[in-house]
Amino acid sequence: MRVLVLGGGITGLKTAFTLSEFDIETIIVEKSSEIGGKVKRYDKIFPDFRSGKNLVKNLIASARNSPNITVLENSTVTNVAKNNRSYTASLSDGKIIEVDAIILTCGFEVFDATRQPEYGYSVYPNVITSMELESFLNPEGPTKGKLLRPSDGKVAKRIAIIFCVGSRNMKIGNPYCSRICCSYSTKQAIEIKENDEEAMVTCFYMDIRTYGRGFEEMYQYAQEIGVKYIRGRVSECSVLPDGNIQVRAENTLLGKPVQGVFDLVSLSVGMMPCVDAEELAGIFGIERGKDGFFLSKDDDLFPHDTSKEGVFLAGSITGLKPIRDCFLDAMSVSGRVVSYLTDLYKNR
Amino acid sequence: MVGQDYKKGESEAGLDYGWRFQGKPVLLPEDRSAIVDGSSHLMQMALTEMSKEYFSVERCLQCGMCTEACPNTMLNTNSRFSPRKFIQELRLGLIDFSGEDLWFCTNCGSCVSVCPYEIPFIDVMKDLRNLVIEQGAGYLPQSLKSAISSCRRYQNPWMEDPNKRADWSKTLNILTLKKDNTDGVLLFVGCLPSYDERGKKIAKAATLLLDKAGINFDFLGEKEVCCGDGILRSGDYRTFEKLKKINTESFEKRGIKKVYTISPHCFDVMKNHYFEKNEDKFLVAPFILLLYEMLTEGRLKINKPINKIVTFHDPCFLSKHNHIVSEPREILKSLPGIELREMEHHSVKSICCGGGGGGIWLDRKKGERLTEIRLEETLSTKADILVTACPLCLSMLEDTVKNDNRFEPIEVMDICELVLEGI
Ligand SMILES: Cc1cc2nc3c(=O)[nH]c(=O)nc-3n(C[C@H](O)[C@H](O)[C@H](O)COP(=O)(O)OP(=O)(O)OC[C@H]3O[C@@H](n4cnc5c(N)ncnc54)[C@H](O)[C@@H]3O)c2cc1C
Ligand code: SF4
Ligand code: SF4
Ligand code: SF4
Repeated sequence: MRVLVLGGGITGLKTAFTLSEFDIETIIVEKSSEIGGKVKRYDKIFPDFRSGKNLVKNLIASARNSPNITVLENSTVTNVAKNNRSYTASLSDGKIIEVDAIILTCGFEVFDATRQPEYGYSVYPNVITSMELESFLNPEGPTKGKLLRPSDGKVAKRIAIIFCVGSRNMKIGNPYCSRICCSYSTKQAIEIKENDEEAMVTCFYMDIRTYGRGFEEMYQYAQEIGVKYIRGRVSECSVLPDGNIQVRAENTLLGKPVQGVFDLVSLSVGMMPCVDAEELAGIFGIERGKDGFFLSKDDDLFPHDTSKEGVFLAGSITGLKPIRDCFLDAMSVSGRVVSYLTDLYKNR
Repeated sequence: MVGQDYKKGESEAGLDYGWRFQGKPVLLPEDRSAIVDGSSHLMQMALTEMSKEYFSVERCLQCGMCTEACPNTMLNTNSRFSPRKFIQELRLGLIDFSGEDLWFCTNCGSCVSVCPYEIPFIDVMKDLRNLVIEQGAGYLPQSLKSAISSCRRYQNPWMEDPNKRADWSKTLNILTLKKDNTDGVLLFVGCLPSYDERGKKIAKAATLLLDKAGINFDFLGEKEVCCGDGILRSGDYRTFEKLKKINTESFEKRGIKKVYTISPHCFDVMKNHYFEKNEDKFLVAPFILLLYEMLTEGRLKINKPINKIVTFHDPCFLSKHNHIVSEPREILKSLPGIELREMEHHSVKSICCGGGGGGIWLDRKKGERLTEIRLEETLSTKADILVTACPLCLSMLEDTVKNDNRFEPIEVMDICELVLEGI
């Protein structure tokens, strides 16, 4: 029994690892040069502030050490052909593999902030995205964990975090809520404050959707340690001669305009389907929703099945999830695939 | 583009944003509003008389981006008017129609251009004003009242004699102002350039430019009536329909195929409300696009350098409503000797002069005029001339310049006048 896991993020790694515990052979095919996905760049993860990097490191180590798991990096699937019961997958590096089932764990992509030019991303160096902020907060990152302004390398003391960038916006075609940006932004605000007591963090939000267990508590804690929350969506960022960024919004709770000057502005970008979504949907002949994320056969009864037998979905490929939900997904898809394979082999 | 296939499509019920519940599209509030049957509440029936857009307020996120963008909040009077707050009060049934709030909005379109949920606030305003005008539901400022009744009686907002509408052209000796060989091209002058002493200069400049370029054009003369833009935006739908009928009948009678309007307001209202069903039959464009063509095609030659620093005030109905921002700038840059400097807010981010949406008929106190914000920005560019391309903007801006000595150094000109100086 052999399974192809496409995408080596936390979902893919955890899936492969779980299947290996059932003695099922897996091949992880990862497009980038290194497995681990996005989480390997996070120093801390919400809600419990454990290390994301270490979590991924451990997963990678167990994948590499497992005799059941093969990792193929710099590779992806370019074509699949269904045989009687198995699949023959052609990989971009020319390899051809035969597998019984395929699990897609290609994750998500963050919203391209240049599509909302009012915030000046890529024009003003001191406007960054949340993804970049993650690497600034990483002690092993380019700034060794310091918040240094890209324009002049000075330590940023006044930081604004702008929520809902690329989400809940019909004009750019993304009406959905990305669900986790409220939480990761709050996590980042806490990290900034805890690293530097003098730093002032102001979050411009529309609604706080810290929905998960422990998430709301994290939001309360952030306020306790002095993170400021202003209810108002930012309409514009502009740059001042010294590189500082001026932010304008309406404080909608007071009904008063607010204007602030910040050293650094982070855009909490929302989630988009993975880059290859369209291509993958074509290769596997499976459906995506209007939001571009992949659709399962039945959200309640068959959350991992697709319309094609033997092709399964897990993790943020079906919509954004926090890490723990990705883990849950990985374990439940494994259960589903084990039962599928058992059926497949029983009838041989 | 990354996974971006979240395209809007039409569903049976209206716009489809891809939201699904139990497999069916989730309707937007305004689509839901359209579904009314005999059992519906009387109030609901009355509300369906209002345009579909009105109901979009139900989906407002209360995010405040509109208020941030609204020029009214930039006044030092400290945000008397906030579209976000207005919407919230409207939803809660707390709007006080006896106050002035309803008339502060100049329909500039800033709010609509930033709203993440595409709420057509301007249409909402129009419907509410309609309630006041047609059903007497609240306060209507006196000056607006007289403009409206003047439009009803004289087909212009200033109680002017309709027979004198073409008087401005009588002193001109222009050969091209004739009715044949025009290929159905018409110059629509508009009320301000027809009657206002200052406005007439724009009309004259525009016709002289056409003459110099050797373009024959038709002109309705005394038969022209107000385009109805201000009237429609003030909520008087009936009078608007009457004015529209008179103009469109004249167009048809004369076999007009293409209309150039001096004012961007006439252009916008004709484009969206005159010809909506007749797109192929008539084409409408603002005069500035013709001017741009005349210059780029070399039909107009500029010989005299105009050694001046200028800045450009974008009329809302060119910039925010119709995204015409590069042509006026290219015209200005092509004039020899002209240096163009931009104000802090320009192009689609430009700030309204206060003249739109019936605003030109309101008396705003000193310190509460949007023109003051604009002129302060002009001062900081140190430009000699503030150029614009709309008779309403010109009139609003010049009025303030005359009545406030802070702004004395600024000269306000229409782009046609400036171009003419170079010939
Ligand atoms: C700024 C930020 C901070 C966050 N912080 C937290 C946090 O603190 N706590 C938390 O719970 N969640 C957090 N999240 C969410 C977290 O990132 C996701 O839950 C997690 O990354 C999802 O994992 P995944 O494996 O499904 O997808 P990914 O991490 O996106 O991994 C997908 C993998 O698939 C690969 N891939 C893609 N396409 C192909 C292809 N065609 N072929 C082969 N391989 C492919 C990719 O290269 C990648 O390695 C954060 C998100 C962001 C944006
Ligand atoms: S999770 Fe929060 S920041 Fe993200 S889209 Fe939803 S409301 Fe906006
Ligand atoms: S910008 Fe749009 S959604 Fe936001 S408060 Fe204004 S009308 Fe509502
Ligand atoms: S149209 Fe202009 S004046 Fe009216 S509410 Fe919107 S931004 Fe304000």
